[in-house]
Amino acid sequence: MSEQHVSCQEVVELVSDYVEGALPPDVASLFEEHLNFCDGCVVYVEQLRDAVAATERIREEDLPSHVRDSLLTAFRNWRDP
Amino acid sequence: MSSITATAQEAHLLARLREGDEAAFTALVERHYGTMLAVAQSYVKTRAVAEEVVQEAWLGVLKGIDRFEGRSSVKTWIISIVINTAKTRAVREARTVPMASLAPEGEEAAVEPERFRSATDAFPGHWWSYPRDWRELPEDALLERETLEVVRAAIEALPDAQRIVVTMRDVAGCTSEEVCRTLGVTEGNQRVLLHRGRSRVRAALERHFDE
Repeated sequence: MSEQHVSCQEVVELVSDYVEGALPPDVASLFEEHLNFCDGCVVYVEQLRDAVAATERIREEDLPSHVRDSLLTAFRNWRDP
Repeated sequence: MSSITATAQEAHLLARLREGDEAAFTALVERHYGTMLAVAQSYVKTRAVAEEVVQEAWLGVLKGIDRFEGRSSVKTWIISIVINTAKTRAVREARTVPMASLAPEGEEAAVEPERFRSATDAFPGHWWSYPRDWRELPEDALLERETLEVVRAAIEALPDAQRIVVTMRDVAGCTSEEVCRTLGVTEGNQRVLLHRGRSRVRAALERHFDE
């Protein structure tokens, strides 16, 4: 039986699933084996992780005070009609 | 925080909210505002309208609070209200509403095929030249406001279904189960949409850093 492997072109289609832990074990093995000898794909996986991390950072953490005030008013109107 | 602790804490907040406790309301708003804004904006696009959708959604939360049975998490429930509010708003403004089925359309390569060696090459499917290592960029490159703007713009430019899934998973931090349940998509479709959306965001960042 010939040795199975994945190409870089296939790897880039699998990265998101890999990061999610959603690859079946045999595919994950092939994926990881490929990363062992392909620096290009190691970099690509890092890039995708960086993109996800940057995406997580665009969520706004601060509640603007004008929004808080307006919502509190709405709350009080609901509570004491 | 374990999910059990979080659930108990949120149940407690809801109970206090039902009793008219203002501090509980404020706590809930602070906890969920960023998520709600991101999800709203993935539907209505402009920030100003998204803010209005969030305000309206909070009214929906208050009105529906007695009916919430705790079968889903508070976060999932609130996000559902945001989505319903956003969809109604989009229809009212005669905008394009995201398709009825959030299914991936056609084929889409994560990276242009030209960047890989062809089938007749000695190393078919391998990179012609490796992508650039972003570790070699200035230290804060990935944290800079400019970079976040590139990401924001890339997400806004995504096809509707990809935009919504990437927003809910990666911006709002929803689990894949929450996304599938709220949007009514299969796990498989959700993964494809997430993969495609993330790939496009990565590509946008690459173009930005290559300038």
